[in-house]
Amino acid sequence: MRWQLYKKDPRFVFLSLIFLAVLLPWLPLGASTNYVLRIMTTAVLYMILALGLNIVPGFTGLLDLGYVGFYGIGAYTSGLLSIHYDLSLWVILPLAALNGALWGTLLGAPTLRLTGDYFAIVTFGFSELVVLVLRNELWLTRGPMGLPGISPPSIFGHPLTSDWEFFYLILLLLMIVLLVVTRLQDSRLGRAWFAIREDEIAAQCCGINLIRYKVTAFAISASIGAMGGAFYAKWFKFIHPDMFKFWESILILCLIVFGGMGSIAGTMLGALILIPLSEVLRAVLPQGMFNARYLIYGLVLVLMMRWRPEGLVPFERAQAKKAKLAQERLEI
Amino acid sequence: MVNLLDQSSLFLQQLVNGITLGGVYALIAVGYTMVYGVIQLINFAHGEIYMLGAFLAYTMVTVLGIPFFAAFILTILVCACFGIILDFVAYRPLRKAPRLAALITAIGMSIFLQNLALMIWGSQIKSYPRDMFPAIFLKPALSIGEVSMTWMQVFMLSITVLFMVILHLIIHKTKIGTAMRAVSQDKTTSALMGIGVNRVISFTFAIGSAMGGMAGVLVGLYYNAIFPTMGYIAGIKAFAAAVLGGIGSVPGAMLGGGVLGIAEVMGAGYISSEYRDGISYAVMIAVILFKPSGLIGRQIGEKV
Amino acid sequence: MNTILKIIRLSKSFGGLTALREITLEAKQGQIVGIIGPNGAGKTTLFNCLTSLYYSTAGQIEFQERPIVQEVSETKRRLIKRCAIIFFVLGLIWVPLFWSSFVPHTFFKVEVVLLGIFILSIRLLLVRGFMRFQIWAWGLMFLFLISDLWFAIWWLTHLLSSGPMIGTGIPLCYFAIPWGIIAGPFSIYLVLQLVLRKVRQLYGFRLGPDAICRLGMARTFQNIRLFFNLSVLDNVKIGFHVQMRSGVLGILLKTRSQRDEEGLTEKEALKYLRFVGLDGRAFDLAGALAYGEQRRLEIARALASKPKLLLLDEPAAGMNALESSELIRLILKIREKGITVLIIEHDMKVIMNLADNIYVLDYGMLIADGTPDEIRINPKVIKAYLGGDTAHVAT
Repeated sequence: MRWQLYKKDPRFVFLSLIFLAVLLPWLPLGASTNYVLRIMTTAVLYMILALGLNIVPGFTGLLDLGYVGFYGIGAYTSGLLSIHYDLSLWVILPLAALNGALWGTLLGAPTLRLTGDYFAIVTFGFSELVVLVLRNELWLTRGPMGLPGISPPSIFGHPLTSDWEFFYLILLLLMIVLLVVTRLQDSRLGRAWFAIREDEIAAQCCGINLIRYKVTAFAISASIGAMGGAFYAKWFKFIHPDMFKFWESILILCLIVFGGMGSIAGTMLGALILIPLSEVLRAVLPQGMFNARYLIYGLVLVLMMRWRPEGLVPFERAQAKKAKLAQERLEI
Repeated sequence: MVNLLDQSSLFLQQLVNGITLGGVYALIAVGYTMVYGVIQLINFAHGEIYMLGAFLAYTMVTVLGIPFFAAFILTILVCACFGIILDFVAYRPLRKAPRLAALITAIGMSIFLQNLALMIWGSQIKSYPRDMFPAIFLKPALSIGEVSMTWMQVFMLSITVLFMVILHLIIHKTKIGTAMRAVSQDKTTSALMGIGVNRVISFTFAIGSAMGGMAGVLVGLYYNAIFPTMGYIAGIKAFAAAVLGGIGSVPGAMLGGGVLGIAEVMGAGYISSEYRDGISYAVMIAVILFKPSGLIGRQIGEKV
Repeated sequence: MNTILKIIRLSKSFGGLTALREITLEAKQGQIVGIIGPNGAGKTTLFNCLTSLYYSTAGQIEFQERPIVQEVSETKRRLIKRCAIIFFVLGLIWVPLFWSSFVPHTFFKVEVVLLGIFILSIRLLLVRGFMRFQIWAWGLMFLFLISDLWFAIWWLTHLLSSGPMIGTGIPLCYFAIPWGIIAGPFSIYLVLQLVLRKVRQLYGFRLGPDAICRLGMARTFQNIRLFFNLSVLDNVKIGFHVQMRSGVLGILLKTRSQRDEEGLTEKEALKYLRFVGLDGRAFDLAGALAYGEQRRLEIARALASKPKLLLLDEPAAGMNALESSELIRLILKIREKGITVLIIEHDMKVIMNLADNIYVLDYGMLIADGTPDEIRINPKVIKAYLGGDTAHVAT
């Protein structure tokens, strides 16, 4: 009886998927194992980023176009800390997350009062300003010369070098982020966010302070993005302002729109489908057409909004399923 | 300390440049503001129409060999059509959808068009051939002391002013202009009064895109540099101008464009040229935070 | 029986349109007070002012004998506006002064400009919050004023001891001296204003709708505002939001207290659903409910915040006779629990059967108040509803 319940519980599904993923490096893929691992690492990284972004438009219903700003802040925090102070990964990740949360709060506090359109524009302006600062403040970030030579993370003194080590690391981070996001979703905070998404005025009259909860969502989203950026810096070992352009924000937005804004499973699914797809495109298309992937993302956005705006896993469906699960759990 | 006379002539020169640039921004901003006025949507793809105008004129002149002024007019017409098509394909199906969906569609179209242009024309900067116009265009037309204005700038400014006047006449003196103003105030009632709302919206897109495309040709000419991502940057600045003037208000867009052009040139000259684009972003953020209705705009409330 | 709600000469205008004109109303604990009137009379506007969705333009509201909306006189308002403008202008002068004195030769650098804009923006936001009586603005302004005062003293003493400073070619004493002289006393004056409680109360403050809910006022809406894509149970749990304490940390770490609270929430939510008769539908999506059930769900959600005063905005709209009788029973049950009810209604049967006291609004003005029997025969009420001279009113 309980087993049937577990089968449908999304947490169980996630855990089993992750367990399967852990087995990935052992699959007999021969010479392309490392290549596949790198693609999967990218996919999981974008899953984390998408889960972070999902909190703002997915849970609270506000469009955040400046997510890449936090991604960049996290990456540069991690890169600069590694270069100047050579700190352990487990110190850098929380520090980057905190930095992200700080900037999220600073940006969010004055701007979250605005209506949806204006808020989107302001976040966009913010991310552009971040890129400008990254590019021009040479004393801090070395600007257009980029930041090379970031040391790889080391666990118990052993520096991570191979692809499967990074893959496991990102899986670990994914589990942490999943834990955070699912716990938040099924709590007082998550319900307050959904209330804000559904109807702000009614939410206010139920005692939910809009600004406080919106800023909290924004700060948490920013800290997850920053954490993703911190990993990226340590993985790629080189960062450059051009890696954090506006189009990345759109890419991540595309992932959650495609998967279904507000549903965690949908977000992960969106990342799992679209990122490897773009890598496949990168390999298949001739060199000059590489930017075709952004073209496809733009097209995906337009088509999804036209024909299936709820995404692959619609929010209402996820809620209905959750309710049914709760009911069954009660009856046991 | 620099000579006061030199200082002031530098200032005036910057002012002249700023006004010219501002005129262009105003042309683009008008497109944004009109579309927002009628369907309350920020048409992110508008910047791409501007870019398209520049590329179309360039292609017509260099590849097809059409003389410049004919190409100019043709481009304007094509851009107008393109605007209508854009609305029909991307925005009309989403008239009843929530604003978030329409916004995302607009962003998607913008990205799509940018990359399409990248694919078709490549990412290298294109320039018009040197001998395309009489050299007189680059010569100063008027000079007062150290301050001069080239014929090119005169041309741009006069076209801008001309079309602003035409636009103003259209909006206030013609039937369709009145229809536009009606639709931007209340769509349902306008429809009940017998106004073909979709037709008016298409017309709005047509005019806005025509002016945007025109601006694209002019800027391509002025800076003699055309590249697929130019729409993106100019689009944001024009949007900042529209917001500054008050989104939904055409005179506001004109005013905002002028102010922003001057502010950008002054800022780039006096403070820092790397943060040139940042000035537009900062202005936009500041206006949105402190006076969202802009200099001339109006407020909209929600009924509980 | 004590007065739970007292509205004194409340007015609300939207630009040129006056929606409410000097409304005076009183509700004692345990009463059911009806508010009736033709459409557009301002009834929902009254509710919106009560729950702070609109800020009233004049008048006072006391809830549980505590003022929640205060009368702020015109002179005080103007004084506040003047203080706010002085504060901002001082900031304008402060930025260049600060930079030229402490970090010379960097005046036109980008970072300086950005930082200056940043600080000015904060000051401008503070000005706005200050003029709208928002509490956070008062606190932050306090800090800024202390720093202004400190700089004023520092500059004046520095000037007196080491002569005028030359930063960027402009003799700064011309700015520093007047700034110091204005900023010093002004800062002290405003700091005192912010600190002395009595003065602060005099200047007034504004509570947001969420604070009003926490104080014990809950409401339903004329057009149903449920969270349609969430389950029925979740809707009520959100209503229960103000009774819970869990914060981010507790949620992330899944502490014992958080888990206990979630369990309690679930039980309580089911109890409220049972109270309105919806417990069979607890796990359906709110959007799937029938219209009458949705209205009951809204009431359950409002009740979940354990209010002392419940505002019902046309709860019987669209209901047939059977549903209205059930509604009447439900509201009487609510009264038994000790909750005071303020109800806007058009359905005369409901109002006449429930209300202890009725207030009649027309064109934003109170035209009558009294018991149902008094209202029934009041000629002004008859005229407002039926517009003419008719001898009787249908019941």
